[in-house]
Amino acid sequence: MKSVITTVVGAADSASRFPSSSDMESVQGSIQRAAARLEAAEKLASGYDAIAQRAVDAVYAQYPNGATGRQPRKCATEGKEKCKRDFVHYLRLINYCLVTGGTGPLDELAINGQKEVYKALSIDAGTYVAGFSQMRNDGCSPRDMSPQALTAYNTLLDYVINSLG
Amino acid sequence: MLDAFSRKAVSADSSGAFIGGGELASLKSFISDGNKRLDAVNAISGNSACIVSDAVAGICCENTGLTAPNGGVYTNRKMAACLRDGEIVLRYVSYALLAGDASVLQDRCLNGLRETYAALGVPTGSASRAVAIMKAAASALITNTNSGVKKAALTQGDCASLSAEAGSYFDMVISAIS
Repeated sequence: MKSVITTVVGAADSASRFPSSSDMESVQGSIQRAAARLEAAEKLASGYDAIAQRAVDAVYAQYPNGATGRQPRKCATEGKEKCKRDFVHYLRLINYCLVTGGTGPLDELAINGQKEVYKALSIDAGTYVAGFSQMRNDGCSPRDMSPQALTAYNTLLDYVINSLG
Repeated sequence: MLDAFSRKAVSADSSGAFIGGGELASLKSFISDGNKRLDAVNAISGNSACIVSDAVAGICCENTGLTAPNGGVYTNRKMAACLRDGEIVLRYVSYALLAGDASVLQDRCLNGLRETYAALGVPTGSASRAVAIMKAAASALITNTNSGVKKAALTQGDCASLSAEAGSYFDMVISAIS
């Protein structure tokens, strides 16, 4: 899984040399920023349920009848549960990305193939975008986490939003 | 290939759990000891030629049959191959130590090594002994308890856990080939 350290080791290995001082500098830089990323991961691990619930509420407030207007929400309770499950799934992968320091977990476990899946299931990606946009504006520093941690978290939310566009 | 961070993501994903609390604590200690780790990797890579040649010279001293006709390192060609392999093993151990995870060592170095050595007729007892000597040398260099001119001018800290971690990677090599 791609991260700064595995990239450095892979490059050193393909040149069959020991880790050089510039490799060490790359790893050192990644480690320095890691404290903020781990802080965001920790806050997300404890607060994901409330974050996902607020996103679901925002989606249903914006699209009470579905984004395309052709899906009457006869089983709104079940729909809301599935909607929240999906948001929690994305938040879990964002948690992994914050820990690894790369977008590998999101790419490998969600983004690859997501458009095809949502198309096949007749789910408008716009509903997800509405939810993630709410999350993007939801985070607040220093109430939720430090500014550096919030930047790392928001960057990943933007990454997901752009992947759905 | 994984590192200490992505290892946590892979194991958390298998149970569908968030990474929090306990797992993050071990990563935080990885971060707070990051400079020590880089110094440890530097100690190995900076003294690599010395560590390898000492280990190979060591097995030849302990077992004089190795350099005699039909011995494991008889002919310069075999001796050169032995030195090259020692350096490769040490290089992958240094990668594993940098990443904080053994996957690069297992996948790219040890996978199939036993079969290769069996096919080439490499004496595994002597090869394991050479790795054990490298382990001892690396441990001394990481904790900066080596004697002589190679002693680094560093602030002396507690690198026992890093030394033990490096030792566990050398032990993996030994158990993979013997």
